[in-house]
Amino acid sequence: MEKEKDYLLQISDLTVQYNTDDAVVHSVNNFNLNLVRGEARGLVGETGAGKTTTALSILRLLPAKVGEIVKGSINYNGEDLLTLPEAEMLPLRGKKISMIFQDPMTSLNPTHTVGAQIHEVLDLHFPEMSRAEKDKRVDEMMTLVGIPPERKDSYPHEFSGGMKQRIVIAMALVAEPELLLADEPTTALDVTIQAQILELMKQLKEKFNTSVLLITHDLGVVAQFCDSVSVVYAGQVVEFGPVEEVFKRKENHPYTAGLFNCIPDLNDQQPRLHPIPGRMANPRVLHEGCCFADRCEYACDRCRKEKPAMHVSGEHGIMCHRYEDKEVF
Amino acid sequence: MTAPLVETRNLKKYFKTSRGLLHAVEDVNLQILPGKTLGVVGESGCGKSTLGRTILRLQEATDGEILYNGENIRKYRGKDMRKIHLNMQMVFQDPYSSLDPRMSVHDLIAEPVAVCGLMRNKVEIKEHVHEIMEMCGLPANHSNLYPHELDGGLRQRVGLARAMAVSPKFIVCDEPVSALDVSIQAQILNLLMDLQEQRGLCYMFITHDLCVVKHISNEIMVMYMGQTIEYAPTAELFAHPAHPYTKALLAAVPTIDLSKRNQEHFTLKGEVTSPINPAPGCRFAPRCPYACDKCKEPCQLHEIAPGHLVSCKLFEK
Repeated sequence: MEKEKDYLLQISDLTVQYNTDDAVVHSVNNFNLNLVRGEARGLVGETGAGKTTTALSILRLLPAKVGEIVKGSINYNGEDLLTLPEAEMLPLRGKKISMIFQDPMTSLNPTHTVGAQIHEVLDLHFPEMSRAEKDKRVDEMMTLVGIPPERKDSYPHEFSGGMKQRIVIAMALVAEPELLLADEPTTALDVTIQAQILELMKQLKEKFNTSVLLITHDLGVVAQFCDSVSVVYAGQVVEFGPVEEVFKRKENHPYTAGLFNCIPDLNDQQPRLHPIPGRMANPRVLHEGCCFADRCEYACDRCRKEKPAMHVSGEHGIMCHRYEDKEVF
Repeated sequence: MTAPLVETRNLKKYFKTSRGLLHAVEDVNLQILPGKTLGVVGESGCGKSTLGRTILRLQEATDGEILYNGENIRKYRGKDMRKIHLNMQMVFQDPYSSLDPRMSVHDLIAEPVAVCGLMRNKVEIKEHVHEIMEMCGLPANHSNLYPHELDGGLRQRVGLARAMAVSPKFIVCDEPVSALDVSIQAQILNLLMDLQEQRGLCYMFITHDLCVVKHISNEIMVMYMGQTIEYAPTAELFAHPAHPYTKALLAAVPTIDLSKRNQEHFTLKGEVTSPINPAPGCRFAPRCPYACDKCKEPCQLHEIAPGHLVSCKLFEK
């Protein structure tokens, strides 16, 4: 069943570490992910889980000298991005794969007009395009993200947070990329603006048939925007599957279940929240067994010694010993 | 009926700017009963933090009354105000910037005790700090650590411990969990609720997160551009939201409920306009789908159900 799928992106066994002066930080450990063309995948996890590092690895934008890809492969359209020479990466970045960064306040250049910044993407990737054509594309793109093209000569500081994020989205999509990496695109925004931006991303995704990797810590955003989800803990995917399966909340990895229990629900009043005990795994220490064992209520000796395999049923995978014998869940 | 612990009457806070008067808080009337929590929700810039700071008199109100235990504290000076501050404290949003990086956990918690002159004996202070740390779930061996050695959750516990150190009765919590991860957020919310139960604390909980506010509040006030647009008991507000803005806000929250996935969402158009020299009418009108000519006239809060107040022409007879 696997081979018939049209995979755009396949990450296998990706392992990334940061070599700092006093320690080695194991940020991403044997990370696996398969993304089908046109799919919107949510990457959920808490701060420090390695979500952003994964996205930066795809674009090969890890901080030089400090960030090191130890092993693994990132297959994009049949090519391994990790072995590609830098000269061949350049035309991919921003054209085929583009990224929306978390904070719209800092990801725009304050000294250039917003129009010029969208224009720059076209200058870089479409040198053959005429100036008039590029201008037209910029105007179209601004209209598409809901900002009147007359404002293209404005500077970022003249815009509100929501408008800046629209410009960032326009920059990311103007080259009509195949893959969009959106790193917490709405976290810095108010809910009503968040709803507008998500709606906009949904429409544009349909229009350009873009695949999206949406990094977020908000399970609500995943439920409303994504087709499928990968839950990341300590640099590993501990659970993946279609949103319909995972959000049924019947069969989940204990960490995913823990995340669900932490959120106060709008529809249902519970007297007390159930936080996950303990703290995030220390990324400086590599775990022998299951990375979540220290915080897991079901953990036994085996969990502390032996790394669980990913147990897959249909399209839903859970990395936990408890699902070993279950054929269907 | 019990008397409210904290009350404001027509509280106003304006800021002078080069372009005119910025109406940050406009005629806010609120009442918080002892042991209860009032949630204040709204988007960035709606004046909710300014309201909290004005009530604590961290900045001077422009007009109106602030009552603590029935006394108007707006005219209090020096010693009198310090006494009031023993009862009214604040927990700030960002646990990364609200703690002095050069002070240890012990010093941070001891500081308010010393400032208020509650204790002078060092041993006594040390014991007190230990008690407070235990109460706030801080391990005793953390007392010599510095803020950079703590994670967000522990830092926020220190922020809370600083407020708790002078045994206040009323705490303004300004977005205390929005900078935290969900699992840590749940721990802090549980801690706040435990402390409230044990000590009969009264909270004003400022947040933009409707799920959080629903969880922790007894009553909720929705603010838009400095004005109260809806004020109701929590269950009533979520069951029968009346103001178009409240409805839009509720619809905009992404929930984990998949049944809402493919529904046509009602998304609010436009963005918040500037509260500098606002027109007299409803400030939400430019974004409101139901706006009509009547909305240009000033609007008052109306009671549409017991305890449920709404400021909207739709509910005026």
